[in-house]
Amino acid sequence: MKRHLPFLLILLVLGVALGAGWYLKRNAVRSTAAPTPAGPTEAKASSPADPGATPPHTLGPADAPVTLEEFGDFECPPCGLLHPVLQQIEREYGSKVRIVFREFPLTPNHAHALPAAHAAEAAGLQGKFWEMHDLLYENQKAWHEVFDVRPIFEGYATRIGLDLEKFKRDDTSEIVEQRIFLDGKRGHSMDVKGTPTVFLNGREVPFESLALEKLRARINSELSGARP
Amino acid sequence: MKANSAGAVGDNVANRAGARRIVSFYAAAALLSLVGLADAIYLTVQHLTGQSVRCTIVVGCSEVLSSEYATIRGYPLALLGAGAYFTVFSLATLGAFGYKTVKVPLAVVVGLMFLTTLWLLYLQAFVIGHFCQFCLLSAAVTLGLTTLIVISRRT
Repeated sequence: MKRHLPFLLILLVLGVALGAGWYLKRNAVRSTAAPTPAGPTEAKASSPADPGATPPHTLGPADAPVTLEEFGDFECPPCGLLHPVLQQIEREYGSKVRIVFREFPLTPNHAHALPAAHAAEAAGLQGKFWEMHDLLYENQKAWHEVFDVRPIFEGYATRIGLDLEKFKRDDTSEIVEQRIFLDGKRGHSMDVKGTPTVFLNGREVPFESLALEKLRARINSELSGARP
Repeated sequence: MKANSAGAVGDNVANRAGARRIVSFYAAAALLSLVGLADAIYLTVQHLTGQSVRCTIVVGCSEVLSSEYATIRGYPLALLGAGAYFTVFSLATLGAFGYKTVKVPLAVVVGLMFLTTLWLLYLQAFVIGHFCQFCLLSAAVTLGLTTLIVISRRT
């Protein structure tokens, strides 16, 4: 028996390790996309959510059958990775999908997240929110580690044809600050804890389902009336 | 004659004490590797479910685990860590039960883990610019294992 004991111990630990991994994975998936009787979605949709900044920044028609609402932080690397995915979805689905962007800068973790949100909102006041949004995400690595990002963001403003003086004024304005605050308030009311967090017709999409293929599958099943 | 037998008894006692000490070292290494294994499993699951890969309000591992260094060909590095800790546990357990052949492979595995840990600490400190507390726990466990191996080889 003693001869076999070490091997039994090793097998026992292997079994416990695999079991613990399986248990943790099951619980983690449940906590983000828990299949409650009503569905995670209904639970979220029924809880009162703050309206957020109005009007929100949207792409696609208001009556699109699918609305994807992203809570994003321009300095967050996974948000930068989601950006081309959502662009692809927008191209593929056209008028069937409406994309909404909500500001959710994670300060103080990301030192430039708030200035970036300010820049995007200030561009929005001149009708060019999405142009600035795209530039910020596409050049995330270029400004992420820079000490003073203001000249870079002003450069983007010039590049997309904004009135630079107005952009500078708006950047520090109360209306911009208020919009960011209201979007953050909406995020908190919807239990957003990190970025990117995406809601599909009001239901949170688990983070692991934000890859293009999986998101496509969710949108398709939503369009065909069957939920995944 | 008496002196010789007393010497033999003394040697015997010393051998037994030495063997007990070696068993203690192996047992300690096995227990320590279990801590590392639990940590690595937690990190792997966090990674696979996307929990720590997104950015969060609370300062955590997201910066480190969402970096390009957190995966190897799409697989989480923590999974490799779990495999390494399980190997250490297996070898140390066999060692504690008297399998002398595990001595060299155990030293090699722990040595490789130590070098990897130094590289990961360097990446966190100087390249990523953020520390992940779970990665630091893993580093502490590996440093502990390295210390045990070094001391056991000296004794």
